Amino acid sequence: MINKKLIKDLLNESACSHNKEKKSSCDKPKPGATSGGCAFEGAQISLFPYADAVHLVHGPDTCLGASWETRATLTSWEGENNTPLGYCTNVTTNDIIFGGDKKLAESIAYIVKHKNPKAIFVYETCVTAMIGDNIDFTCKEASAQFNIPIVPVHAPGFVGGKNLGSRLAGEAVLDALVGTKEPKEIHPYGINLIGDYNVTGDMWQYVPILERIGIKVVATLSGDGRIEDICQAHRAKLNVIVCAKSLITLCRKMQERYSIPYVSVSFYGKRDTSNAIRSIVNAFGDEAMSERAEKIIIEEEAKLEARLLPYREILKDKKAILNTGGNKSWSIASALQDIGIEVVATSIRKATEEDIAIAKTYVPILMKVPANEQAKLIDEHNIDILLAGGRSLYTALKKKVAFVDVNQEKKVSYGAYGGLENLAIDVCAALQNPVFKLAGKAAPWEN
Amino acid sequence: MGKLKEIKPLHVNPLKLSQPMGATLAFLGIKNCMPLMHGAQGCASFTKVLFTRHFNDPIAIQTTAVNDITAVIDGGEYSISEAITNITKKVTPDLVGLFTTGLTETKGDDIKGASLLLKDKQAIVWAHTPDFEGGLESGWSLSVQSVISQLIEPSTKLNKDKVLLIPNVNLSAIEVEKIKETLELFDFEVYALPDLSDSLDGHLGIKQGALSSGGISVEAIKKLGDTGLVITVGRSVKKCGELFKEKHTQSTHLHFDSLVGLQACDDFYGKLLTCKGLSKPHASIQRWRKRLQDTLLDTHFALGKAKVIIADEPDNAYALSQALGEVGTKVHAIIAQRSDISEAFTCKVQIGDFEDVEILLPSFDAIISNYHAERLAKKYHKAVLFRGFPNYEQVGIGLKNNILYEGTCTLLCEFANMMVHHEGH
Repeated sequence: MINKKLIKDLLNESACSHNKEKKSSCDKPKPGATSGGCAFEGAQISLFPYADAVHLVHGPDTCLGASWETRATLTSWEGENNTPLGYCTNVTTNDIIFGGDKKLAESIAYIVKHKNPKAIFVYETCVTAMIGDNIDFTCKEASAQFNIPIVPVHAPGFVGGKNLGSRLAGEAVLDALVGTKEPKEIHPYGINLIGDYNVTGDMWQYVPILERIGIKVVATLSGDGRIEDICQAHRAKLNVIVCAKSLITLCRKMQERYSIPYVSVSFYGKRDTSNAIRSIVNAFGDEAMSERAEKIIIEEEAKLEARLLPYREILKDKKAILNTGGNKSWSIASALQDIGIEVVATSIRKATEEDIAIAKTYVPILMKVPANEQAKLIDEHNIDILLAGGRSLYTALKKKVAFVDVNQEKKVSYGAYGGLENLAIDVCAALQNPVFKLAGKAAPWEN
Repeated sequence: MGKLKEIKPLHVNPLKLSQPMGATLAFLGIKNCMPLMHGAQGCASFTKVLFTRHFNDPIAIQTTAVNDITAVIDGGEYSISEAITNITKKVTPDLVGLFTTGLTETKGDDIKGASLLLKDKQAIVWAHTPDFEGGLESGWSLSVQSVISQLIEPSTKLNKDKVLLIPNVNLSAIEVEKIKETLELFDFEVYALPDLSDSLDGHLGIKQGALSSGGISVEAIKKLGDTGLVITVGRSVKKCGELFKEKHTQSTHLHFDSLVGLQACDDFYGKLLTCKGLSKPHASIQRWRKRLQDTLLDTHFALGKAKVIIADEPDNAYALSQALGEVGTKVHAIIAQRSDISEAFTCKVQIGDFEDVEILLPSFDAIISNYHAERLAKKYHKAVLFRGFPNYEQVGIGLKNNILYEGTCTLLCEFANMMVHHEGH
């Protein structure tokens, strides 16, 4: 069942800065003026990277049919990778009349028989929430029968946006998995990575560096994650939230229950990556480790600078406008600055209070209505490149400036030191491409 | 010739796309239209993302954003009227295409009533398209039927040279354009409903994505009542033609299950000639037929020995399998949803998902399907030809032409070249 009280609590999270000032909830979709994904999608994004678990969506087609195998989250799991696979109970008219519990139970049995996963996550959707299927009971019975965790995730789309769904997924993991297994040994510098989904292998850009410093990743939620690891996550010494405000509740609760402190970091850009490493290391208060970390940071930064050298000349004195949402409004800005670009303005249209506060420290102009402001700013500041979603392409062509679609599913990692070179390559390619001046050219009969 | 399969309780790696998604595309083929999905915000968001990646262009769509409170206390009037208010604050649509999802059908909203309450404020066409029934093709077809019954004004006149083309959802923008052009060669005045040929054909436009950027105009739809000839292409839209004929009895309805392959095209042009009382079509059509004859012979070496799985929407799977059958290819079709067309297949056909595809694939040479086929093709080292929704891998989706004599040539050559190339690796 949907837990109304939990949803209310999650929306009023005390660790969210905006809730200290006003009592507005985190998200409320407006009919006819909403573009973001739903709670189910948020839950899916947060949990699908567990490749050793099967993700079963209990609902009709739209929820999964359009969304499976769409995210480039990578895993090193050697068994069958369940992340790019889609499992759906395909609820039909008949199930709506007679209830979908039987179909769900049969589907779980089918999955256990044919796939033998480490766990099954069962996602409630709007329709199965409406018809009142007793998903908790079905999961509990099946879990006892098959002796694997079968975890109900109560984040049907209509309860809210992606952010809330991600929170609800975190709660499901916290209640059903975390603390259910004791590790053989407890690592003195063990951390949990929370909120990095290893899209295009982002995590793999910085985890080896952490390991060299002496830090061990105990568990993740959920990039390259394993069910067994998350069950033992309560024995880590530190929670590291990576660019994901939505999972702050989970970290606060783990602090209360298991006395695990948490730090919030970003691995986009050189400065932020170095700072992220420092905040993690500082949390342990081990001087030898801090020294080791500083050495490695100097080393990595020097290596990066050498690799960026060929692009510096092209990127020098270039000015950009960034129009994207959420934490990207500042994290990508920071990364762009690190490759030598001046970021004149960034959009805060879809950013949280917290993101706006951070964005202020990086970028001079914050755009509230970028659609109206960006064209003017391009002229006023002599901008060279616009980084935005596909809808802004026409603005770039009209103003004859280079364009990078930052909202499109990216193919390579922009994470940490290594990823910054990829960003430099992509930005240079756009800056040097004649297509942006050519494609919008007037036809001979238009003059 | 359907083959029995294990009855399983779930879909593993689904092939099926939902009715509301089909409805979305149908309304995007009407000019200055805003498709409005009546459901939770995610249904519209998933749909928008899928089509944006598929077409590589911004997609106009809005949602009534039903939440857990309005789901219980609202019968649809509140969220629909709120949505219209908020949409019209920003844009001025000529039409709003309102259609339901599983959520709002489960709670039984009265969308007709809600639309009528708003009729002085905004022109709306409503359609019932729950995603627990049917699929992409039926969602498209149901929306077209709604447009026919709710928008077209009755007419006492009959214009024998006016054609209404109703394509099925699988036809690309350029394919719709090619059919229109070929009909124009018969001196018809042609309208397509929906008309994706100038909305999702990948053209560069201003203010992209605010509303549908092209398509048949609402004015033109209203005046379709005097249409002399209705042509439906694909079994999923046959009903649309029948409905039109029922409402406008003086019109003629011609139906074609497919326009791919020599026989299907011969049937099409044969009937058009009879209709017009002509003995020969335009010289270019005759020329393309000869080219297809030659292509059939050129490609049969590679394709005659090939065994291929086609996993797609029923109408497209039918059209492709019949055309490949003409050069001797052995086809096993897996279709996304139940359809009347399944009885017409001359090859094996079953309803299924990509798990079913994966079971069969090792004993086949190639697969024709959507983006999801790529992972399987790689895993089993098979050739893959991308057709259907979604296609995230390739660009130029709207420009792909596989119909009529010309398009069939392109299809056969592309597939034959691919098979030869694949064998060489």
